Amino acid sequence: MIELTIDGKRVQARKGEHLLAIARREGVEIPTLCHHEAVEPSGACRMCMVEVTRPDWEGWSKLVTACNFPAEEDLIVRTRTDKVMQTRKEILELLIARTPGSQLIAEMAREYGLDHPTLTVGELSEKCILCDICTRVCQNLVTGAISRINRGVEKEVNTPFAEVSDVCIGCLACAKSCPTDAIEFKQVGLERTIWGRTFDLVPCTQCGAPTLPKEQAEWLSERTGMKVEEYFVCVKCKAAQTARTYENIAW
Amino acid sequence: MKLTLDTFHKFQKEQAARLEGRKAITVCCGTSCRAKGGLDVASAIQTKLKDAGLDENAVELTQTGCHGWCEMGPIVTVEPEGTFYQQVKVEDADAIVASYTKGNAEEKLLYRDPTTRQRVASYHAIPFYAGQTRWALRNVGRVDPANINDSIARGSYVALNRALTSMTPEGVLNEVAEAKLRGRGGGGFDAGRKWRSAAKAPGFPKYIICNGDEGDPGAFMDRTIMEGDPHGVLEGMILAAFAVGSNQGYIYVRQEYPLAVEHLRQAIKDAHAMGLLGDNILGTEFSFDVRIARGGGAFVCGESSALMRSIEGKVGEPRAKYVHATDKGLNDKPTVLNNVETYVNVPLIVEKGSQWFANTGTDKSKGTKAFSVVGKVLHSGLIEVPMGTTLRELIFDIAGGIPGKNRQFKAVQTGGPSGGCLPEKMLDLPVDFDSLADNGSMMGSGGLIVMDDRNCIVDVARYFVHFLVEESCGKCVPCREGLRHLLDVLERITQGKGKMSDLDTIERLCDVLENGSLCALGKSAANPVRSTLRYFRKEYEEHINEHFCKAGVCPALCTYKINDQCTGCTLCAKVCPTHCISGSRKEKHVIDQAKCIQCGSCFDVCNFNAIDILGSNG
Amino acid sequence: MEKKLLHVYPQRCTACRNCEIACSFAHPIDGKAGVARIKAFGDKEGRVGHNQIVVCMQCEDAACVSACPANALWRNPDTGAIYLLEERCIRCHSCVAACPFGNMRPQADEFPSKCDVCGGDPACVKFCPANALEYK
Ligand SMILES: Cc1cc2nc3c(=O)[nH]c(=O)nc-3n(C[C@H](O)[C@H](O)[C@H](O)COP(=O)(O)O)c2cc1C
Ligand code: SF4
Ligand code: SF4
Ligand code: SF4
Ligand code: FES
Repeated sequence: MIELTIDGKRVQARKGEHLLAIARREGVEIPTLCHHEAVEPSGACRMCMVEVTRPDWEGWSKLVTACNFPAEEDLIVRTRTDKVMQTRKEILELLIARTPGSQLIAEMAREYGLDHPTLTVGELSEKCILCDICTRVCQNLVTGAISRINRGVEKEVNTPFAEVSDVCIGCLACAKSCPTDAIEFKQVGLERTIWGRTFDLVPCTQCGAPTLPKEQAEWLSERTGMKVEEYFVCVKCKAAQTARTYENIAW
Repeated sequence: MKLTLDTFHKFQKEQAARLEGRKAITVCCGTSCRAKGGLDVASAIQTKLKDAGLDENAVELTQTGCHGWCEMGPIVTVEPEGTFYQQVKVEDADAIVASYTKGNAEEKLLYRDPTTRQRVASYHAIPFYAGQTRWALRNVGRVDPANINDSIARGSYVALNRALTSMTPEGVLNEVAEAKLRGRGGGGFDAGRKWRSAAKAPGFPKYIICNGDEGDPGAFMDRTIMEGDPHGVLEGMILAAFAVGSNQGYIYVRQEYPLAVEHLRQAIKDAHAMGLLGDNILGTEFSFDVRIARGGGAFVCGESSALMRSIEGKVGEPRAKYVHATDKGLNDKPTVLNNVETYVNVPLIVEKGSQWFANTGTDKSKGTKAFSVVGKVLHSGLIEVPMGTTLRELIFDIAGGIPGKNRQFKAVQTGGPSGGCLPEKMLDLPVDFDSLADNGSMMGSGGLIVMDDRNCIVDVARYFVHFLVEESCGKCVPCREGLRHLLDVLERITQGKGKMSDLDTIERLCDVLENGSLCALGKSAANPVRSTLRYFRKEYEEHINEHFCKAGVCPALCTYKINDQCTGCTLCAKVCPTHCISGSRKEKHVIDQAKCIQCGSCFDVCNFNAIDILGSNG
Repeated sequence: MEKKLLHVYPQRCTACRNCEIACSFAHPIDGKAGVARIKAFGDKEGRVGHNQIVVCMQCEDAACVSACPANALWRNPDTGAIYLLEERCIRCHSCVAACPFGNMRPQADEFPSKCDVCGGDPACVKFCPANALEYK
């Protein structure tokens, strides 16, 4: 264990633990947009900037991202200095210009006193803020069907070469973990469409209600050893089935 | 034949003896001279030599790497005299061989000094070369890069042999550290310190990476070294590997450098065959191998963390460097990554000692630096000088100053797109890592772009920002979004739609870029804008308030008008691409403003200062 | 320390479904009642003593845990119950598909839900008028 200071408070942490985790444990609020606990930090949004210094740095300090900066003994972390607040505010202004429609960003911007953003470029109205959560989720946890393609302002999240992916399993994890709901998907009846591919949802073997795409079941079965068919019963029928099993048990 | 510590010495001496008083004709076959027919010149000379009955015992014909003065190419030299022939054509082969047999020089192919109008016979008397100290480029243009014996004859692998015979890894580390060698690829980080951290870091394997991505527009130092002295690069890497305890290295070469790849491949193969690379180098316990990785084709892939991701086969995006690459680099293993020019200096240090090395240069920047000088200079090319040489010496004494009799030096951009623009009053600045950084620019990898009074400073800033907008990886918000807005503001100013408040917006965007960006591309992207605003604020203000681009570059902000000095020579009318200049011979000409596209061609050709550049409203 | 378990006594259950309501209110979403993690099935023929209660059994070797790619399902060391760490959940609903007993419940656009024994103080137990649930 090591000791460091966050906003004047001495706190304990593991060496190398990320500042954001420590701050959150200690109840210190640090805003984030690209952070997701399930995946490695990316450092893309820069909202979690904090100012760090050390007693031996002779007054010198630097801005770092809390989500991936490793804690070290005697580090002095300040989460709300003028420079930090100004940088976060500018970042929010840049994001508002990119996604004028986003509730999430507008709300955060208000917190930072950004009532009258002035920057605009053309007719931008992206929904995606390129926080990289969906791509990390899919690449690190699912099948790696999507990634960031192109560079710079052209950068976007898509399947490689924007072609229909044959590794996507239609699990929707990407869409559901997106903080700005930028990933479109559609589910009607037994069909679910995402990234230009339509998946058939296997009907429940008992009641016919939609369960999950066969592809997801196969992927799951590979990882867990359960039989693919075992996934094709809907929750309601499974619960009812459980209830029936209980009935045969002598309580 | 595999060499060992025992046999290397003798073999090297034999090869070196071959060079003593060697008679040779070298033909530059660097990328540019090749494009201008260097290979054909070489084979033409070969034929003529044969016709003259001269075999390779009488005179050797060597195809070398680039001499760094490509506008003079194809370049042919005659050794040992050092006769320097420029712009040689296939037809000249006859004359070259003829004068060779006669023992004199072919006058008309010699370099002519533009001021004295005199022909200069030898390489070493030409100001462009005489003013240089070629350490990193020591073998480039002299050895045949495809012939390992040639390199060994010139001293390649002597340092390696010395290190393996009589030095410990710690000893090599100390030597490099005491030489205070700083990285030549960007930030000027202390190489010894980097190596020491990697040597100390737990973890196995450890990697040595050579950064040959060279993305700065106009820069070609690293290409030239890789093409012209691949063994110098390899030896530097092998020494680094020995010092930090690594067995695997990578050379990351830019996609656009096929010749560098070819020569490096050959060099690796040859070094393997001679026991200088691979298992049990020179018969010792030490093994090290090198692989070539082809670049991802993006400027940002030259950034160290993006480069490592690219070698790993991932998206070439930078990542935070809070944990150093020396602890967790390639594949999360301890990694040393240095620039091509950094490595090529290492054998010199090991061979001649850190003291010798540190005797040249300034207090904190030792040795030399190769610059790629381009733009408005008489002689653009590669120029290697001791650290601390002034910009004036570089630009005026060696590169020949500003061409065009009425043109004046305006600014020099150092450090490529991440560097800054320095004005005339900084010309006497001794160039080293710190002096440049202290003045709002940086050394970068050594790009120098010289500008004259026909370059618009706002347009220059716009150009670099545009480059960076295209090259930003787009991962982090400040760089991806901030640069887009910065470009937008600068474009507005150059189009005459600027407001004075835009200058505050620029400062604000520069702040968020500097403070908020993830990697050095974004962090330093403000430099070209900040420095031009700092040294040339007046020009920005003229654009905004007076709608006047005095360089005559921004079409919306200038008009070209012919004044009373006009002699009616008709030259301008001939060059005008839209044929909008009229007037009879010996009478004052007139520009039809409706058709003029503000290209400035007339201005540039007029010999009588008869054309004025005025603001957009005349 | 001996871990407590949520015991069900279906023979006492009256299928009043107070447990479901209690559960919903104990796990609100944006202030509104969420999906109940416990289910009471009334006997089709209305026979007393034949109702059923279905709730997570906190399986030793849980299917949901092994299906989750995000490591979002954890066993609470204090209660021994498996709970969902929402910050880690990517809402792929693999757990829902995996639980063979139907005890992992989907909620449209939300995190899936499962019984977490309310962190050691199950609401259902308190609200069951028939004492069909005990936490011991
Ligand atoms: C956007 C960007 C591009 C870079 N491109 C190169 C490059 O092309 N070649 C290079 O050697 N270093 C480049 N660098 C610097 C490298 O990140 C790294 O600092 C350097 O290669 C380390 O070697 P050195 O210490 O020997 O200079 C670049 C840095 C940035 C931020
Ligand atoms: S729906 Fe497809 S792209 Fe999205 S996370 Fe699942 S597998 Fe990946
Ligand atoms: S600063 Fe630019 S290049 Fe660097 S990570 Fe951010 S977006 Fe990519
Ligand atoms: S929905 Fe959440 S808890 Fe369930 S498997 Fe997916 S990530 Fe894990
Ligand atoms: S949360 Fe740290 S950069 Fe986005």
